[in-house]
Amino acid sequence: MIKINRRERDGVVILQLSGRLMGGPDAEQFQKLIHDLVEAGQLRVVVDLGPVSWINSSGLGTLIAAFTTLKERGGSLKLLGVSRRIEQILQVTKLNTIFELHATEDSVVASFGAR
Amino acid sequence: MKQPGGDTDEIRLELPSRLDMLSIIDKVVDGIADQLSFEDDDKDAIAISVIEAGTNAIQHGYGLDPSQCVEIVFRLTRDSLEVDVRDSGPGFNLSLVEDAGAPENLLKPRGRGIFIMRSMMDSVSYDFSRGGTVVRLVKSRRDGAAHEEPERNVPRDPAN
Repeated sequence: MIKINRRERDGVVILQLSGRLMGGPDAEQFQKLIHDLVEAGQLRVVVDLGPVSWINSSGLGTLIAAFTTLKERGGSLKLLGVSRRIEQILQVTKLNTIFELHATEDSVVASFGAR
Repeated sequence: MKQPGGDTDEIRLELPSRLDMLSIIDKVVDGIADQLSFEDDDKDAIAISVIEAGTNAIQHGYGLDPSQCVEIVFRLTRDSLEVDVRDSGPGFNLSLVEDAGAPENLLKPRGRGIFIMRSMMDSVSYDFSRGGTVVRLVKSRRDGAAHEEPERNVPRDPAN
């Protein structure tokens, strides 16, 4: 099961995931959280994948659904702490052209600009 | 298990059809890829691909039915690793699988598993002939050389 730690910094919601991101009940839990954020008007979201050991195609689908949900409401979702292994999957699926990747929290928070 | 002919070791794994079992696949693949001295990128590619094949078997082959069993057979040869992932589900029509790398499909939440496997392995083939689905994944060692044989427990020549 995926674990989600939620916090905020400078108006940006940071969702730190840990464990494995592989669809199933995890996907429903994550998508519900994204919908709740959208309903609350929190549209600047970072997903920190640093502690995620691996991800499969279902997990990618979960991230894409979240990305699309936020984008449709004028928000954005960016990724932080992508491991070499996850980056390999993003490259072969060309999703590295969709998701903005950042190596540090300072960088990703700053990329949203001032509120 | 050593196969007839001598140069292939075979390892069999049977797992309940549950997504949490994918972590076991990850660990087993890591150990086997280590044994064959694959480089880190190739180890990741193999693990990602076998996890994808397992995901497909569990989700699509068995519809997440935990009473079912996914069978995985690893064949370790001198030059490559061959992995069969088998489920006895209804199978699927390979010709209907879309190109997940096409621009119009990039934001679709599903349909990337086979694309990922094909991108990361040297060969991916399917066999639906025996009921269910067997996906065969093959990764060759990059240098094409035989892997180092693990040290055998053989009596030493006392003269050495």
